[in-house]
Amino acid sequence: MAEVTLTNTRKSYGNVDIIHGIDLDIEDGQFVVLVGPSGCGKSTLLRMVAGLETISSGEVAIGGRVVNDIDPKDRDIAMVFQNYALYPHMTVATNMGFSLEHRGTSKSEISERVNWAAGILGLTPLLDRYPRQLSGGQRQRVAMGRAIVRSPQVFLFDEPLSNLDAKLRVVMRGEIKALHDKLRTTMIYVTHDQVEAMTMADKIVVLNAGRIEQSGTPLELYDRPANRFVAGFIGSPAMNFISGKVHADGLAVSGITIPLPEKAKKYIGDDVTVGIRPEHLTVEEGGLAAQVLLVEPMGHETQITVQLADNPITGLFRERLALQAGSGVKIGFKTEALHMFSAKDGHRLE
Amino acid sequence: MKAELSPRAKVMVYGAMCVLLIPFVFPTWWMVTSSFKPVSEIFAFPPRLIPDSWDFTTYGQVFTLQPFAKQYWNSAYIAAIVTVGTMGISSMAGYAFARIRFPFANAIFMVVLLGLLIPSEVTIVPLFQLFLKLGMVNTHWPLILVPIFGAPSVFATFVMRQFFISLPAELEEAARVDGLSRFKIFTKIALPLSRPALASVAIFTFLHSWNLYLEPIVFLSSADKFTLPQALTQFTDAYGGPMWNIQLAAATLTALPVLIVFIIAQKHFVEGLAHTGLKG
Repeated sequence: MAEVTLTNTRKSYGNVDIIHGIDLDIEDGQFVVLVGPSGCGKSTLLRMVAGLETISSGEVAIGGRVVNDIDPKDRDIAMVFQNYALYPHMTVATNMGFSLEHRGTSKSEISERVNWAAGILGLTPLLDRYPRQLSGGQRQRVAMGRAIVRSPQVFLFDEPLSNLDAKLRVVMRGEIKALHDKLRTTMIYVTHDQVEAMTMADKIVVLNAGRIEQSGTPLELYDRPANRFVAGFIGSPAMNFISGKVHADGLAVSGITIPLPEKAKKYIGDDVTVGIRPEHLTVEEGGLAAQVLLVEPMGHETQITVQLADNPITGLFRERLALQAGSGVKIGFKTEALHMFSAKDGHRLE
Repeated sequence: MKAELSPRAKVMVYGAMCVLLIPFVFPTWWMVTSSFKPVSEIFAFPPRLIPDSWDFTTYGQVFTLQPFAKQYWNSAYIAAIVTVGTMGISSMAGYAFARIRFPFANAIFMVVLLGLLIPSEVTIVPLFQLFLKLGMVNTHWPLILVPIFGAPSVFATFVMRQFFISLPAELEEAARVDGLSRFKIFTKIALPLSRPALASVAIFTFLHSWNLYLEPIVFLSSADKFTLPQALTQFTDAYGGPMWNIQLAAATLTALPVLIVFIIAQKHFVEGLAHTGLKG
């Protein structure tokens, strides 16, 4: 086990900067999820930690040792790839023991470690099969088995669940989390799926265009997003945003006024973007008049999209609302749960 | 889903296929059956598909008129060495061009590919002079070295490069993380996975070497060093006229191993070609 430290880490291809000086501390045994939209540099950053990409400048340290110029094989890391990268011509057992074999481990120890890993992941009956004879979920487990069999200091996961169907993804999510709880090894996990990030991480790092937008625990990011980007990225359905000018009685938007919390008074006259999570909307008699655009009943909750002034707003309700597209509805806001962001640069306003 | 053909359409399709088959099958049929006919019957009109009388002595004569067993061995061992050599060189070169980033890689590959554009007739005289100076004329070395470092190897390198380009990069990265050196990645991961491409390279190269005609007649002069295509021309009577039935018996024996190899490796051969995106 080891901590991972990135200090002013940069990556450039020619004149194009992909990673703009990242500083990040990952504690020993922590499960850190790097999350962000496609092209934000999260996979590149992971590959830099793995040693599969060179570092243009800055430092990457694993367990206190700077590894910038150290080969991937000598970094004491294991990686699980998006497409599993299982060797097609080897059985499950050979795939899992392959790295140990090349590190001079004795046959008896390889067999012992492979059996241990297979036991943890429920792969024991599949050890003699070839990857082509396995389902997607089984292949994913073999890829994890190949990683854990070496007991490395750090596990790296590069979007390992993105090729699985939705149901299996939920199962595997749980399995990876359980594996972390069991091994307590440092894990860095890359995903573009914020639900995966929220449910699995001890710490989430939100990346955008090669920069860290915010890092913290899942609930910190959910409850106090540092800027509009993080607020919009974390949470599903995404946070609603309404832009307007702050007045004494609220936010003026296209002829309506949205009530704001007391703290908004200091921004009177300013252009502000207000963020409200879908679950913080209410249907109430004293609310603002809106028109229903879409009703999506999901059984345990109902998602409704309404047109409020010029803004489409999504609400999530525990109740089963008898509404239809085209009908009118009165929408209220839990003002204490509103977020405010600068309309100029999107940073959070307190 | 594929639409099922009606019985009538099936008959028509199979009928057309049988007709198209004739130009491919007839020469082989004619060669094999004529090797059992007396010379007078070979040119009889109308031609006979099945010999009236079977003459098996032609096959014995093949081995008495020429050191045919020795010539057979010459062709076999030269083709085997050329095939193994070409597989080794082309797989390594193909891997390097596909996977290793080095300066001017594409330009160098283009230069290598140019080797395919130069006909062997153009290079045969300078090659003869070279091998003459090296004291290798009337030895088998030119027949081994020229294909291994010549056009067949270039084509094989192209086939292997195309295959290695299609291998997922993640496999290689996983192997790097697992602790393998570049050479080990090649031998333990890339090469075992390239079996279909290697099989097609093997068949191409073997066929090319087995059928080589120009080089043997330029470089070899003693009958015991001849290879099969060259030996076939030597079955002549006292006046230099071809002894057709014996020549056809020798040709049948020459074609036999190639046919067997192709039938066995057919599946790999087609798979290999499919991987390269080439059509046969």
